[in-house]
Amino acid sequence: MSQSLRPYLSCVRSTLTAALSLSNFASQASERHNVPEIEAATSPELLLNPLVVSRNQDERVLVEPSVNSVRVSIRIKQADEIEGILVHKFMRFLSQRAEAFFVLRRKAVAGYDISFLITNFHTEEMLKHKLVDFIIQFMEEVDKEISEMKLFLNARARFVAESFLTPFD
Amino acid sequence: MLLLDYGNLLIESLLKDRFAPGATPTSIDQISGEFDNTSFHISTPESKSKILISLAIKCYPELVKYGAEEVLQREYGSLIVQPESGYDFSVGVDLEQLPESEEEKTDLIRRISLMKRNALAAPFEQAFDEFASLQEQARQYTSESAPQGVREGGEVRAIHYREEEAIYIKASHDRVTVIFSTIFREETDRVYGKVFLQEFVDARKRGVQNAPQVLARDDPPLELQGIPGIKAGKGEVTYVTFVLFPRHLTPQRRAEVISHIETFRDYFHYHIKASKAYIHSRMRRRTADFLQVLRRARPEAEEKERKTASGRTFTVKG
Repeated sequence: MSQSLRPYLSCVRSTLTAALSLSNFASQASERHNVPEIEAATSPELLLNPLVVSRNQDERVLVEPSVNSVRVSIRIKQADEIEGILVHKFMRFLSQRAEAFFVLRRKAVAGYDISFLITNFHTEEMLKHKLVDFIIQFMEEVDKEISEMKLFLNARARFVAESFLTPFD
Repeated sequence: MLLLDYGNLLIESLLKDRFAPGATPTSIDQISGEFDNTSFHISTPESKSKILISLAIKCYPELVKYGAEEVLQREYGSLIVQPESGYDFSVGVDLEQLPESEEEKTDLIRRISLMKRNALAAPFEQAFDEFASLQEQARQYTSESAPQGVREGGEVRAIHYREEEAIYIKASHDRVTVIFSTIFREETDRVYGKVFLQEFVDARKRGVQNAPQVLARDDPPLELQGIPGIKAGKGEVTYVTFVLFPRHLTPQRRAEVISHIETFRDYFHYHIKASKAYIHSRMRRRTADFLQVLRRARPEAEEKERKTASGRTFTVKG
């Protein structure tokens, strides 16, 4: 793990742990509804201050807490065109499987690549610290996976080009 | 299967079946397409022992202009029959008059399966011949005193073999330039294509030193200036230039080089698609891993005491 990644991840970890103190809160706006307040945004007094943890210009995490839900959005590093495409494809792939992931949001918040929405029901059902672990591990592995895919693509392209040109030799 | 085959596999396997000793003639009616909108029709219109193989290729009139008929005449000779309606070129094989030896049969099958390759080879052969004569002429001059025609090289032969894509061939006294124009349907393909092309361009620096020089760019190269149908300036078309040097153009190497360079476009796009498929399967696997991690967040259901119907409990003795 590189020098600047460790403090970045530990900062995200403590921010998330603090933000994930959620309680059941029925909607104040309509009777017998119980919606994630961060998404509904009908009562400003229920929203807490959003927080951005940023490693550098292109890598940051936005944590938006509220009384019964937290929205976590991640922007993944995209150094060049290829990484951009790979991140876009991978995140779309995950978002399409949001149902299976429970805490994944189908659409990312503008300016970020992927968003999670954690409600009090999720924290009741699942272990809170393990949820935080999941998000941290996700952040670590996505970066690794993207750079591996990029390396693979380059290696394959090189091999393909050489095999085509060798018969001319 | 890294490199693509030059011939058509369906024709090859069909004919092999029919040519096998003891095979009973049956009626055939099959159509086979290739990536560049070429289609083959293999049929037995008259009797079961007479197989007709027809080829339809989009740019046939252009190929005829560059001498395709002579090349096909040379390759197929007496097999050529009147083209079937809707097709450009046909050959007929009579199963009762097959050559005797096994080798000749294999050679015939191979030759027929290479029909598209041979049709497309005509402009290449013409350009290679032109190169030879220009080289001969250029020997008489120094580079300054050469007359315009010799210094500039010959005309550009264009083959519009797909809707929006074409091959351009130009001969000069010291090289033959082959330019492929290609279009990417999707943004992803374009980005992957860029990575691949970069490697094609760099391959020469790394070890395959005798390979043709490859250049890739988004705007038409200078060779194609003034050719009708080419938009100047940067566009969505990518131009890939292969510069074939005299060592590739010798009569011994010629057939192999032509076959190989014809497959470039299909090879290139095939590997882009293959990489996409691999990356996709990789993402799928990684997604499964993430799900595994998330599943760990769920507390395990506590083991309840299990009882049989009669009310007895299970215990572990140990």
